[in-house]
Amino acid sequence: MRELDTNKANTWCSGCGNFGIINAVKKAIHDLNAKEVGTDDIVITAGIGCHGKIFDYLNLSGIYGLHGRALATAQGIKLANPDLKIISFGGDGDSLGEGLEHTLFAAKRNMDITLILHNNGNYGLTTGQFSPLSFQGYKGLSTPFGSIEKPFDAVPLLIEAGATFVARAYSARIDHLCEMIVKAVQHKGFSFVEVLQPCVAYNNTYQLFNQKVKHLEIVPDKLSQALTLARSTEDIYIGIFHQETRAVYHELLYQDANPYRQRKSAAERREHKA
Amino acid sequence: MSENIYTILIGGRAGEGIKKAAQVIAGLLCQAGKQVYQADDYQSLIRGGHNFSTVSSSDETVYAAYQDADLIICFDHRSVEEHAGFLKPGGVLFCNSDESDLEDGAGIPMTSIMKKHYPEGSNIGIVAIAIFCAHHSIHQYIMRNTIKQQFKRNIAENIAFADEIYELVIKKSSEPMDHPFDHQYRFLSGNQAIGLGAYYAGLDFYFAYPMTPASSLLHYLALKKESLGIYAIHAESELAAINMAIGSAVAGCRSAVGSSGGGFALMQEAFSMAGIVEAPLLCVLTSRPGPATGVSTYTAQEDLWFAINQGHGEFPRVVASPDCHERAFSLAAELLSLAWEVQTPAILLTEKQLSEDMRNLHLDQTSLPEASCLMDNCSKDYKRYAITESGISPLQFPQDCPESVVKWNSHEHFETGLRTDAAGAMIAMKDKRNRKNAVLEKATRKYQRVAVYGNGENVIFAYGSTVMELREALKYTDSGFRIVAPIYLEPFPFEELKEYEGKAAIVVEHSSTGQFARFLQWKLKLQTKRNILKYDGRAFDPIKLANLLEEAIHA
Ligand SMILES: Cc1ncc(C[n+]2csc(CCOP(=O)(O)OP(=O)(O)O)c2C)c(N)n1
Ligand code: SF4
Repeated sequence: MRELDTNKANTWCSGCGNFGIINAVKKAIHDLNAKEVGTDDIVITAGIGCHGKIFDYLNLSGIYGLHGRALATAQGIKLANPDLKIISFGGDGDSLGEGLEHTLFAAKRNMDITLILHNNGNYGLTTGQFSPLSFQGYKGLSTPFGSIEKPFDAVPLLIEAGATFVARAYSARIDHLCEMIVKAVQHKGFSFVEVLQPCVAYNNTYQLFNQKVKHLEIVPDKLSQALTLARSTEDIYIGIFHQETRAVYHELLYQDANPYRQRKSAAERREHKA
Repeated sequence: MSENIYTILIGGRAGEGIKKAAQVIAGLLCQAGKQVYQADDYQSLIRGGHNFSTVSSSDETVYAAYQDADLIICFDHRSVEEHAGFLKPGGVLFCNSDESDLEDGAGIPMTSIMKKHYPEGSNIGIVAIAIFCAHHSIHQYIMRNTIKQQFKRNIAENIAFADEIYELVIKKSSEPMDHPFDHQYRFLSGNQAIGLGAYYAGLDFYFAYPMTPASSLLHYLALKKESLGIYAIHAESELAAINMAIGSAVAGCRSAVGSSGGGFALMQEAFSMAGIVEAPLLCVLTSRPGPATGVSTYTAQEDLWFAINQGHGEFPRVVASPDCHERAFSLAAELLSLAWEVQTPAILLTEKQLSEDMRNLHLDQTSLPEASCLMDNCSKDYKRYAITESGISPLQFPQDCPESVVKWNSHEHFETGLRTDAAGAMIAMKDKRNRKNAVLEKATRKYQRVAVYGNGENVIFAYGSTVMELREALKYTDSGFRIVAPIYLEPFPFEELKEYEGKAAIVVEHSSTGQFARFLQWKLKLQTKRNILKYDGRAFDPIKLANLLEEAIHA
């Protein structure tokens, strides 16, 4: 098994929820190795933000792309070589603000990709401005009097968009988060894991989550029930809200082809078309 | 002096199948062994308005469509009003007598006859084909076969309709066309030539979001999925398209994107990312008059500086513009190949005119380059951005070498692909990328970077489709002209052009501010003797352009 750490000094604030996420990811990759997903079969993409730094801290191949576009590059990689397992890391600003269209379309297409959403309820790296998932009234530098917008609800949004695996986890519950990541990567289709990630600098939610987080025991069998549970603010549920089987985009496009492996040399093409 | 040009114009409303009818006629002319050029003038609407297609042909190559026509066929009254004045002496105009009365034109009740033949549906375009065939006494069976092959629906109705028109017109037929109709031909638009050229160089994916005049490249490749094996993906936006294209390159596939100015404006950020991550990428930028939405279905050369300056930050790129359809084909292959050779983005800059205008072409794929890259031989401590003398780092793709990690990074980075803000590392990486400029300068020399047509004293500078207009125009002047056409614009082919440094020349372009003239002044200290500008979205008529050139040298 490959060493997953890099020599890059970590610059996350001490206590940041991102530590829980990276630990869970590393553990998940160990578990996936046991399940015959090799480390070199995994490719990662990341957006820009505190969450994106995970790219530097994981000794995995991939591309550290642009703010909001992690899923767009991920989709290009998947289409070129569908044998790869792609894990995309996004912030809530990244994946549901600047990159909202790519997130919804990746789900709509049922691209066989995993998105791990670091939901810290703000823009960490740019000093705590409100994000698409910040609660109404959130005070940040750009909303000093409290944000006046209603936030998105990530889990219902992704279910509606067509994601075929939708789960939520909490960065402080590493084993559960790891389990969700393993299941998400193994799921064939678009899998989404919203991770509740406290940001100690701008949105410290540890206390809130420690009090309110409850595990879903089973996957709700009705969509309406899943949506209700996902929206609950009394108890905040973590677990799998939705899972279904639906044809994946690359197979609808080219069945079991692999464009990278089946690349024809220009000479062959000329012969073929001449 | 060229007098054997034959031009046919078909006019009517959008939705009447004018372009298709013109294409069928162009095909017949090609089969008869003619050299053919087709231009379509249409507006951004689906029904109504005024559309027309012009087909000009000759025994020698035709590089532009002519305004004055030998045969004009009008489906509606507005077309008569617009084009009757451009009928050549001795030419014939057929109008739809259900819509307009015309004293010296030939009136045919096109709509009423059509209604007789189609219980439902319609296909007025058939009229143009039938008139053309009858007018030139082309055998009725050739007409029928052609219509059967070209229109898959309502075959019986189409044939009956065509027959009736044919029989009406044949009586007055004047210009028999006695040809074997057995020539093989390939009648392609510039966009199709671009798609094919990229295909031969190894293209795997084309990612785009529809925007005229680039859309037809998306349509063409989507349609040819099976035969070419290229996947054309209509993404959710231009932003998605270019990021996906970069992703597919990360995984080892050859990819391209295409759009017009507005879409390219959106792609800027990722174009710049391609620069820093060193992603090989072919970008087809096909211009329309701008700014913003501009005029969507017409032509312009307003994006030269935009292309040269595409993206933010400093990084090497290639920008080149095809001066004819054949070049569009070879240039697409060259640029895809250069992008991979140097691992940097390349822009094929063209205009609506070349993108959509069609010509019969002879394309030679045998000498096209293949898009291949410097590969790493699976070294264990692989570094994506290894600092090399040339600036080019060998590539690896995921899964190729189980031991190694391939990290691409849009942030400034170390050789490993891990991000950095360190001053020394920044300089090292910027220098590495900049060294690729010299490689590019050398690599582009493998290809023809400048085209020169004619050897006269009077030098005209132009690029892109304007060169085709000029080549056609020069058929109408005896004054000694020489067209100098840079194909590569960045890196600038100074070697080939240094004899013109500081000299005076006529510059012809489709812009309102003389972008190309300013560009030449910057690169070559070229003095503009006369800057002939056209910015109404329309191509030059060759004869009018010839007159403007004469005026310019006698000024
Ligand atoms: C196009 C673009 N706009 C803005 C930025 C500046 N920026 C960097 S990170 C960021 C937001 C980060 O928030 P989020 O995605 O939630 O990630 P977090 O830092 O909270 O993990 C922004 C706006 C950028 N890099 N690119
Ligand atoms: S700002 Fe917030 S998200 Fe960023 S590292 Fe610090 S605690 Fe973590």
